Amino acid sequence: MISRLLTILVAGLALSLPSLAVETLRVLTWPGYADSDLVKAFENKFDVRVEVSFVGSDEVLREKIGANQGGNFDVFAANTAEMQHYIGHKLVMPLRLSNIPNTAQQLPRFRNVRSIPGITQLGEIYAVPYTYSEMGLIYDRKQFEQAPTSLSVLWDPKYRGRVLAFDTSSHNFSIAALALGAKPFRIEEKKFKAVVDHLIALRRNVLTFYTLPEESVELFRNHSVAVMFANYGGQQLKLLRDAGADVGYVIPVEGALAWLDCWAVTRGAGNRDLAERWINYMLDKHVSGELTRRQGLSNTLEVDTSTQESDKIIWLEPVENDKRRAALWGRIISGDLPKQF
Amino acid sequence: MRYGIAFKLGLLLATFGVVAMGIVGYYSYTTSRATLLSAAQRDLLTATQVLGRNFKTSIDGVADDAMLLASLPTTPAIVGAEGQTQTATDREKKVLSDTFAAMMALHAEYFQIRLIGAGEHGQELVRVDRDADKLAHVPIADLQEKAHYSYVFNTLRLGRGQVYLSDITINHEEGVHSGLHKPTLRVATPVVADDGRVLGLIVINLDLNGLFARLQSDLPNTYQLYLSNHWGDYLIHPDPAQAFGFDQGRRIFIQEFFEPVASLISGQRASVVTSIEGAQQSQDGLVAAFVRLPFGGSVDKHFVILGLSQPLENVVRETRRLGWTTVQMILALGAMAVVVAALVSRAVTGPLRNMVDAVGQFSKEQVVSELPTSDNDEIGLLAHSLNDMQATIVANLRELNESRQALKHLAQHDPLTALPNRALFIDRLGQAISQARRDQTCMALMFVDLDGFKAINDTYGHHVGDCLLITAAQRMESCVRNVDTVGRLGGDEFVVLLNHVEKDVDAVLVAEKICQALHQPFELEGHHMDISSSIGVAIFPEHGSDEVTLSRSADAAMYQAKESGGNRVRLFGA
Repeated sequence: MISRLLTILVAGLALSLPSLAVETLRVLTWPGYADSDLVKAFENKFDVRVEVSFVGSDEVLREKIGANQGGNFDVFAANTAEMQHYIGHKLVMPLRLSNIPNTAQQLPRFRNVRSIPGITQLGEIYAVPYTYSEMGLIYDRKQFEQAPTSLSVLWDPKYRGRVLAFDTSSHNFSIAALALGAKPFRIEEKKFKAVVDHLIALRRNVLTFYTLPEESVELFRNHSVAVMFANYGGQQLKLLRDAGADVGYVIPVEGALAWLDCWAVTRGAGNRDLAERWINYMLDKHVSGELTRRQGLSNTLEVDTSTQESDKIIWLEPVENDKRRAALWGRIISGDLPKQF
Repeated sequence: MRYGIAFKLGLLLATFGVVAMGIVGYYSYTTSRATLLSAAQRDLLTATQVLGRNFKTSIDGVADDAMLLASLPTTPAIVGAEGQTQTATDREKKVLSDTFAAMMALHAEYFQIRLIGAGEHGQELVRVDRDADKLAHVPIADLQEKAHYSYVFNTLRLGRGQVYLSDITINHEEGVHSGLHKPTLRVATPVVADDGRVLGLIVINLDLNGLFARLQSDLPNTYQLYLSNHWGDYLIHPDPAQAFGFDQGRRIFIQEFFEPVASLISGQRASVVTSIEGAQQSQDGLVAAFVRLPFGGSVDKHFVILGLSQPLENVVRETRRLGWTTVQMILALGAMAVVVAALVSRAVTGPLRNMVDAVGQFSKEQVVSELPTSDNDEIGLLAHSLNDMQATIVANLRELNESRQALKHLAQHDPLTALPNRALFIDRLGQAISQARRDQTCMALMFVDLDGFKAINDTYGHHVGDCLLITAAQRMESCVRNVDTVGRLGGDEFVVLLNHVEKDVDAVLVAEKICQALHQPFELEGHHMDISSSIGVAIFPEHGSDEVTLSRSADAAMYQAKESGGNRVRLFGA
């Protein structure tokens, strides 16, 4: 896993080197966050060039931002759990909210940044919430008379070979821990083996682990998938429904992990003002509205109605040891047997 | 005349020649460039199609190997015998493992060959990995469960003799030795029992880059290879950093750079050719051809896009040379056009020039120069007319000159005797005096009067008198030198002017001679008559230093001669 990340790091470096133009904003974000038409509008408005790079996982994001002390990108989007890592490693700069006037239009729970764990430190604000999504379960309405209620459905042998899980280390450990009734982000040492075994059990029950949302749609269609862990939440639900799938969406009783993605400015940002202008632009009513309309993601300006008050949402937090989780996950997905751990 | 007609005509002809040359050159340049380009595209497309066929053939070969391994008697025995006598299967596994190794020794592009069971969560049963230049027989303790990989669950759905080709991905399965983090294509086929049950599968991991390195070795090394999956993500790109972007969380699509490839991805076409002009400095132009190759299982209808490109520079190098040759030709022909234009314009304007010169010379010197009138064209006609005009003008001028000469003669000569008249004589006298004064020599003036002329006039009539005057004038002229002048002042009065007289006596001698000549008898109109003359001689500067004084002296001497009885000569003052 480490060498894989190193490869990515080197490739990231190599790719970003020729992009050090004068008025260029280097954005690192997730697919769907910066559609080319919206980027173009920003470029025209401020007469700059925007280079958007996309990441598919938190691990890749960490490596890309960590490379060159954050000097390879100006602004990026990361979830609250990840922000502590960036703040702790001094890879991000405090934000000047006066430069981001659109924050005044955000819903009260997002406006009150100090109530959101992980994005402030010593009175400085390091990130501004942009969008959030809980990772519920998507199920095929035709195969379930009653909607599943628990994460344990992923382990249910009844659906063996028709379950989709996501290829990621941290969340998989968290949901396995949740399914076992343990603390998702702070797995105790003595319970680690049980969680690994539970993940191997998950591996033995799933059809496969997907990476891209489009991939999950293809698998859903071709392999009569019954239920899947929706890493991309509402975004993924929309994609499936657009593809004609009759699917439902639930928040399991154990609770759904939820990420809250925030924009932050790297310490190596070439143009801090421009980076803050970008964040302000992202919080524009039109731009945030388009995010919801196109991607099915909730924005921070309008009230979301898809989840209910009673649903248990677990905001992501930093985990006890992400490197260890990643290393173990690499072996689990490669097919190592329980006795080999 | 600064820009003569020759210059203008030449310029026009030269310009026309050069422009025509340029247009022809440009047209042939662009046409041949387009021809070369489309020929190169055709070649590339053919090469790509051949490469695609070779790729398929290679995959088919791998599939055959997989099916061969699946059909070996030991293979279903191992999978079906799980749980039977351990030692027996161990022996068979050893045999199969050796077979795998032997096959991998033959095929350098095989990363890994495995036998995977359908049960036990896709437990690997036999696995041989390539580990640098060795082959690793993976011990049982390190074998893994693979049921959750698509190449396993998709292959297990197939029947005997069917083959599954995985999507091409980077292999991140840990423990795969040399194949780790390498672009990998998995070729798998089910292991089927006699009763048709699928017991497991044989998977061959293929080194994609190794395979294409071999396939590409036959192609010119200026050709560059592209391969993308059915979404357009690059799997092979001349710049390795562009390939497998999705593995690093970013998508780099072939159709974003080669836009026509989008029609392959959407399935509208099976092949496209394109060329990209090197617009930016960093990006050289390319000619490229792409084909869509159906690939993998029939369920997902996947395909790959295979492409070859060639630097545009290589293709159009010929054209560039042609372009340069064209430019040289235009320069040479342009120079020739200038020369030819000069010659042509000279040929056209030469006769005009000659006419202009002739007219100029004619008006200056009245010399008629014959113009060439051989040409039967307008210029010949013009020359002809000019010749006529010159001749007419010359004739008129001559006539004019002659009458002017005649008038002048008439004004200065006595019409009867043709001797200089008074006016001319006075003029000559003045000149002679000036000459003598300048030369400090002497000259003589004589007045000659015929004695008894009035009586002859009265006796024989004016006609005879006139004849006598004419004859007398002739006799006097015969007595003097050419440089001397005999003139008639009127009536029977004559004057004689002797230039350069040495002594008085010389003049007197001439006068004596005239007197004698006139005293000879005259036979006129059948009449015999004798006359005489009285001659007065005056010498310059002795008897007068100017015309008036000298004339008066000569006149006075003549009267003295007359009063002395005539027929004699009298020197003034003697």
